[in-house]
Amino acid sequence: MSSPFDLPGVEWTSVSPRLVVARRVVSTAGTVVSLVVVAVVATLWWSPWWIAAGAALFALGAWQWWLVGRQVRAIGYAEREDDLLVRRGILFRSLSVVPYGRMQYVDVSAGPLERWLRIATVQLHTASASSDATIPGLPPEEAARLRDRLSRRGEARLAGL
Amino acid sequence: MLVLLLFLYAQERGRSAFADRGLPGHVELLIAVGALAACVVLAVALSALSWRATRFTVDDEAVRLHSGVIAKRQRVARLDRLQAVDVVQPLVARLLGFAELRVEVAGGAGSQVRLAYLREADAQRLRNLLLARSAGLDFEGDAAPEAPEQQVVEVPFGRVAGSVALSGATVTLVVLAVGVVVGVVTTQELGVAFGAAAPLIGVAGSVWTSLSRSANWRVATSPDGVRLRSGLLESRTQTVPPGRVQAVRLSQPLLWRAFGWWRVQVNVAGFAGEGEQSQDASTLLPVASVDEVRRVLSLVLPALHDDLHAPGLNAGLSVGQNSGQNWGLDEGLRGTSPDGGWLVAPRAARWVDPVSWRRRGALVTEHALLLRSGRLRRELDVVPHARTQSLAVEQGPLQRRLGLATLALHSTPGPVRPRAEHLTQEQAVALLDEQALRARTARAAAGPERWMEQAG
Repeated sequence: MSSPFDLPGVEWTSVSPRLVVARRVVSTAGTVVSLVVVAVVATLWWSPWWIAAGAALFALGAWQWWLVGRQVRAIGYAEREDDLLVRRGILFRSLSVVPYGRMQYVDVSAGPLERWLRIATVQLHTASASSDATIPGLPPEEAARLRDRLSRRGEARLAGL
Repeated sequence: MLVLLLFLYAQERGRSAFADRGLPGHVELLIAVGALAACVVLAVALSALSWRATRFTVDDEAVRLHSGVIAKRQRVARLDRLQAVDVVQPLVARLLGFAELRVEVAGGAGSQVRLAYLREADAQRLRNLLLARSAGLDFEGDAAPEAPEQQVVEVPFGRVAGSVALSGATVTLVVLAVGVVVGVVTTQELGVAFGAAAPLIGVAGSVWTSLSRSANWRVATSPDGVRLRSGLLESRTQTVPPGRVQAVRLSQPLLWRAFGWWRVQVNVAGFAGEGEQSQDASTLLPVASVDEVRRVLSLVLPALHDDLHAPGLNAGLSVGQNSGQNWGLDEGLRGTSPDGGWLVAPRAARWVDPVSWRRRGALVTEHALLLRSGRLRRELDVVPHARTQSLAVEQGPLQRRLGLATLALHSTPGPVRPRAEHLTQEQAVALLDEQALRARTARAAAGPERWMEQAG
């Protein structure tokens, strides 16, 4: 992908494509609900503007549908010897480096939709509130493996604050 | 709850009194006074009860606080994770000879252990004990010796007053007051003054708070760490053990520039999230000269002290001698050039940051990363390599078009949020990679949490 954000010698692992489904379900549900609301209101008070509003909503939904796919493909992580790299974003891109020794705790979470799609989110926390090392859309086995591995490595390199 | 009921009753009663055009009778007055007295007694009894239920113990490992009458609560704070100890005396407590002890641990908002109130001498003794135990110091007997302290900086009251007078709040106050006077004179109506009274009082209050907080500010050094004393009416003594400072920010509002004054703020884990308190808890020096800044910096970040005294670096420190081997403080405080090894924002950055792009820059020294910014309000952030939590490179769409990127260093929550904005993307990513390595090696070489245990 983008050259400056690719560190030399780093192999990026991408997240499960099922995350695309999860995010599309959420965004489509939002679009459908607002379309229904528009339709109901339009039957009560008819005005041609409602068609425009509906079309705009539909276009927004379609754009999100397309965007989600690209966004998920842009998420990647890499485990290096001493730190974890996480990258994300297309328009607003970021690349985070979190040393294992700085890790305070690891969260693994999965909502009902995520569980149904068999994906989970792993989040690393450091003493800083601004550290953003969230990896969404991992298969549960991979999430568990990563969690154990991170906490093991964190323990080995534990370094206070 | 009871107070609320009483309030509702009083309101109801007041309304009926109006309706009947009758004043409350003697009996009712008696009841009201009685209820009020009962409320006071109840409140006193409740706080006495909760005071009786609050107990604490200190052992080698931790300080334990038990509290609560109905819902019991125990809190154990590990001493090797202690971040700072404060002794605070509000005016009334000061007059009565009591003090509150606050023990900060790095657990986010509301994680501090507050022991209020102790006798002043007890509070001092307890603080010495906590610090000694936390340091891993061996001592005989029950009472820990007080660490000898040596005063480093005392901020004169005149300078504090001057700095407050030149702060944004005072300027607002003056503008408001002038506005009110002009308004009253032109409209010939006093109503204007009444309308503006509330904001005026608010701003005046904040001016007063910053004045009384910064007065009598003294910084001393002791084996227990940096000791800060301050306060006009409320007195507070803060002890920050060595190695607890995560990041430092030096800042200079535009109006202070003529006097060369700087404010020094620090990130210490556990200080953030206490709202109003966090602001003054994290101030190291409310107003200081460059010389004092230097002295205090080398106190809280002793590693930088080594940088300062390394041969060849010291020479560059004095103003005007910006040799190639400059440690970078002067350049960092005032400079807008890449002299002395500063990594500066490229010319393309002027499109996203027209005012201060020239000033933005980053400098890597042996022990810390220095980040300067701000054309009008100058700022310099210092983050020791050993205290970097994590790092990130961020790039927005506009930056991408210009080939720029921002490096963000993540420190513990606090006033310092170090960011090197608008470097070229290659620089930013390279710096990210290098900093990650430096942070790792520096951390491995850092001292122990129990600072007196460094075996010679």
